[in-house]
Amino acid sequence: MTTKMTYYPGCSSEASGAHLDKSLQSIARTLGIELEPIEDWNCCGASVNHIKGGHAPTTAMSARNLAQAKAQGNQDVVTPCAACFLNTHYANEAMREDKQVYEEMNEALGAAGRSYDASLNVRHICEVLINDVGLDKIRESVKKPLKGLKVAGWVGCQTVRPHAATERGGNFDEYDNPRFLDDFIEAAGAEAVDFKARTNCCGGSVAVMSPDKTIHLMRDILQEAQERGVDCIATPCPLCQTNLEMYQGAINDKYGTHFDIPVVFYSQLLAVAFGGDPDGDAALNQNIIKAPKIAQVAK
Amino acid sequence: MTTTSPQATRKYDLGFARWVYENVDGGDRLALCMQCGTCSGSCPVGTQMDYGPRKLFMMIRAGMKDAVLSSNTLWNCVSCYNCVVRCPRQVPVTYILHDLAVVAVREGYKEAVESDNARFSAAFNFSAERYGRTDERIVTGKFYFSEGLSAGFKKGMDNMKIAWNMVKTKRMPLGLPHKIKGKGELKTILDKAREIEERHKGGGKGN
Amino acid sequence: MEGKQTGVYLCSGCGIGEALDMDALAEVASKEFKLPVKQSECLCGDAGVKTISDDLENGEVNQVVVGACSPRVMADRFRFGSTQVVRANLREQVVWMQPAGEEDTQMLAADNIRMAATQSGKIAPPTPHEESVESSRVLVVGGGPAGLAAAREASGAGHEVLLVDKADQLGGNARGRTALTPHKPPYRGLQENDIESDVQAVENDNRITVKTGTTVTETSGMPGQYSVTLSGGAQEKVGAIVVATGWRAYDPSNLGHLGYGASPDVVTNVELEGMLSEGGARRRSDGNAPKSVAFIQCAGQRDHNHLPYCSSVCCAVTLKQALQLKKADPETMVYVVYDEMRTPGTAEEFYREAQEQGVIFIKGSVKNVGSDLQVTVDDHLLGEEVPMSGLDMVVLATGMVPNSTDPDQETPEYGAEQLDNDINPESPIKVAGYNNGEPEVPERPGTAPSGGPILNLQYRQGPHLPMLADGFADSHYICFPYETRRTGIYTCGPVRRPMDMAEAREDAAGAALKAVQAIHNASEGAAVHPRSGDLSFPRIGYSACTRCRRCTVECPFGAIDEDDQDYPLVNPTRCRRCGTCMGACPVRTISFDNYSVDMLSSMIKSVEIPDEFDEKPRILVMACENDAYPALDMAGINRAGLSPYVRIVPVRCLGSVSLLCISDALSVGYDGALLLGCKSGDDYQCHFVKGSAMAEERLSKVGETLKSMMLEAERVVQAEASIADSGRLPQVINDFVKEIDDLGPNPFKGF
Repeated sequence: MTTKMTYYPGCSSEASGAHLDKSLQSIARTLGIELEPIEDWNCCGASVNHIKGGHAPTTAMSARNLAQAKAQGNQDVVTPCAACFLNTHYANEAMREDKQVYEEMNEALGAAGRSYDASLNVRHICEVLINDVGLDKIRESVKKPLKGLKVAGWVGCQTVRPHAATERGGNFDEYDNPRFLDDFIEAAGAEAVDFKARTNCCGGSVAVMSPDKTIHLMRDILQEAQERGVDCIATPCPLCQTNLEMYQGAINDKYGTHFDIPVVFYSQLLAVAFGGDPDGDAALNQNIIKAPKIAQVAK
Repeated sequence: MTTTSPQATRKYDLGFARWVYENVDGGDRLALCMQCGTCSGSCPVGTQMDYGPRKLFMMIRAGMKDAVLSSNTLWNCVSCYNCVVRCPRQVPVTYILHDLAVVAVREGYKEAVESDNARFSAAFNFSAERYGRTDERIVTGKFYFSEGLSAGFKKGMDNMKIAWNMVKTKRMPLGLPHKIKGKGELKTILDKAREIEERHKGGGKGN
Repeated sequence: MEGKQTGVYLCSGCGIGEALDMDALAEVASKEFKLPVKQSECLCGDAGVKTISDDLENGEVNQVVVGACSPRVMADRFRFGSTQVVRANLREQVVWMQPAGEEDTQMLAADNIRMAATQSGKIAPPTPHEESVESSRVLVVGGGPAGLAAAREASGAGHEVLLVDKADQLGGNARGRTALTPHKPPYRGLQENDIESDVQAVENDNRITVKTGTTVTETSGMPGQYSVTLSGGAQEKVGAIVVATGWRAYDPSNLGHLGYGASPDVVTNVELEGMLSEGGARRRSDGNAPKSVAFIQCAGQRDHNHLPYCSSVCCAVTLKQALQLKKADPETMVYVVYDEMRTPGTAEEFYREAQEQGVIFIKGSVKNVGSDLQVTVDDHLLGEEVPMSGLDMVVLATGMVPNSTDPDQETPEYGAEQLDNDINPESPIKVAGYNNGEPEVPERPGTAPSGGPILNLQYRQGPHLPMLADGFADSHYICFPYETRRTGIYTCGPVRRPMDMAEAREDAAGAALKAVQAIHNASEGAAVHPRSGDLSFPRIGYSACTRCRRCTVECPFGAIDEDDQDYPLVNPTRCRRCGTCMGACPVRTISFDNYSVDMLSSMIKSVEIPDEFDEKPRILVMACENDAYPALDMAGINRAGLSPYVRIVPVRCLGSVSLLCISDALSVGYDGALLLGCKSGDDYQCHFVKGSAMAEERLSKVGETLKSMMLEAERVVQAEASIADSGRLPQVINDFVKEIDDLGPNPFKGF
């Protein structure tokens, strides 16, 4: 049985997070989820646009996406990116709950002949995997368990905060000690180590613009992963993945460390475990720090 | 509603605090802050802020507008939302900091205007609004050169290795910028939204 | 059956039989004490219990020794009417603490049987005193919220009530208050003052007689038969007394450092309350409504130069008054300068409401209040000193002073000295959580507050109810909160501790029901708690009495007066049966039917003392039955190891331990003695308030006695034990045994 959902891939899917999009599309096919993109979707504004762009315009960016999603049907809108989820969810909830926002956004949309009734649900793909697909189905879909692979499940911030334990966020996990990522890792047949830094912050967009402010945060995450002897770190967030991968060199330069730890998406692990091609499905060739062991252990 | 936030005339003048309560997203819950410090204690970068969120909120109550809006607290927030989920009084700390950042830039505080965040936001906004998508090449490029040509070249060179890696792994495309078809439509919507924002210039309530 | 016949019943269940030679144990009773012995594998089972009850019914025995588990358990199974049952603890304190099958374990069990058999020989079923209850009426002193509630509760329980109030109208401090802090969901709004309906209910209750404009001038007697003289001369009989005299405001003229007196617009919270009830806050300087008001919390409170304690209600009262100001004019700026906002329970909701209404809270300490109303605050949250200007009213949140004395009456000479002795000058506030480390505690006056006594008790120990250093009525805070140290007299409301109206009403219900219970128990000749139902009471052998007055002075409850020839005169219904008098008596002439110095000494001496060459010392542990003994049981339940050389004797209270018991023990060859009792002092845990303190005092003098016996003072030690000390106590005892071992054997051994 196939479930159709409206998919908001987000800007990173075309660049730094391309391998998230590719591997996710692969596991969605296996799990019977049809991801229909929002036609001609635009940027959500991420966590920085508001400073220059202002609030109402930033909300309006998501409102346009939602209006188009609604035009494509009543399916839930799902996104794999933490920032996309936060902004789209925010706009949706603000329009649902605040009459003034609702009217103003429709006024803005109306200027281009569009409207949105705030009737959709905006969901994070991980929440969909837990609540709709279920761990049982994920486990059943595994053909090549990643036996012997030690993985640090690094959830980061925005995938769970501040909505994972709210009703509109799907109530799929808790904030301080979320389980879902370890569950994915273990479902894939790998070993999830007890990773204390699982919800540590890498610095997000501040890490991109002012790495000096947050490089120590990333060092701490890598440090624990190294101490626990993992083969790779797995994360659900495209910015987390990029930050932690691309700054390892700078961290080594600054702290005299020797980190060379692959950082992959949970979807890449699942894609391999589901029997997919390591490159064609899991896009492991798009990781800068390669993780050959993932494909090697898959049997 | 006033366009800019009011200056306090004396200590504990409530003018600024009330303005924040009414105009900043989540500000209405700020009155409930009981100064427990859970936010500052939960903040991964709290130690490098001029003031943690707890103290910043007390300063708002004390009417210390200039100190609040020129503090680097606003520019260190990494949006991890730890404070939001932990606040025992459900004060949406991150949202408030985000909005105070907007206020600080709009009111022209030097520290705010010259912050990495404001310049990065400008670069980001340029791409997001002009093309409908953020193209990481445009954003980073514009951001690096926002400090001036030579600084931009230096930063760019520092990051060449990273960029080259991204290109190699097909995570940084080399063609024309990504753009959406409905660029004109998006501009119409955003222009209208800007007009709406002008109407209640206090700022935040729309987002 | 003529005379006493004790039967001994041994249980081998719960592992006792596996660890001990039961037949050898039986022989101890049958051969040494010539008592009939029966054994059972499960004595608490129906068959076992039936064996005992059959023997009692058939007249074969009339007293029972049960050698089984601790007396703390299975008490209902081994209760046979008024038959005296002595429990030899073989389970918790023998087989669960000692290795099975060892010689030392067997010796310990045998000694426990010896002590129990000896005890049985020394006791008889108590004959209660026959004091009749002359009145079952309850006197309530004070007609504020607590007094009104107490009167209604006592009336509701079917008792006549006499309610007296010094004022001309009922209602106390609550009269005229415009609004109350909320005590109903959602705990956010101002609550209507419902004191009038309480007053109405009392005035309409035909079981309650109200006398306003009346004070008590004299009280004598005891529970069930108090004689009370009222102002005006009327004589009344009552059975028990509830004191609900409430509080008065701290004198603000002491608050010059907070600007009081420098400006007419610096007012107290009580003064503001008065303004609010007369139509609204007004500046005394110009009659205008204030537009900017600062409340200063803890004014003259939590301050060793003023009231050292927290009055607990002022934070909520300030929130209430702040909201009243906001309600009158939402544009009024209201600031609250606090050190800690103390809003326990639902008051937290009220705090939120005030925050939502825009009241600004400033954590800091006030450095100065100028005559121009400029308040300088050391703001702890901003970390800087901040001048607050533009205020037009400053409100000082002052605290509650308990009405444990009547300030309008003269301080009597009579009794003041005794009260001073009762007041512990060491402040209990010392550790109550100040900001900057432990504050310096100045010498407390430790003298009775000025003013006349509320009841003017005609007691040997003076006219006052004993009180704590801060003037609040003394009570056992944790276990018996309404108790005063005068049985049959109960305090409730802010005279007991600072509290608000809702708490005072609940408190009053507790006190009123205790008063009712005291009358009831008095009518049966039974004690009130902690030995609730105990029918024994102190009997004085006047022929031996030397009129030394130790018993009349030491009784923690003032139960013993002196007759005109200075002989002690027991008022039995005042007595709590702790035995402090018995422990105090130098000639062992005070005893209970089932508890005496002779009984304790005989038990101690019944233990077999091995001679010095056996290298088996014997250590006496006298353990308070309220806390120390159950803690030792708990140690047994946890299978904690204990030296097999200790012999544990439970006592009613360490106050009942006579030094003669100790010297008897040392003279028969015990190597040391350890007294385990509750904590003494102002934060006492002693169930009889002063018992462990008395034991300490007596023990402080034992060193000389020991020296005269050529013994080391270290052989006798007192240690504190609480009910929660099961983990620590075995170590305390084992350490003591080790110390005694180091001292070597008692040279009296074998003499």
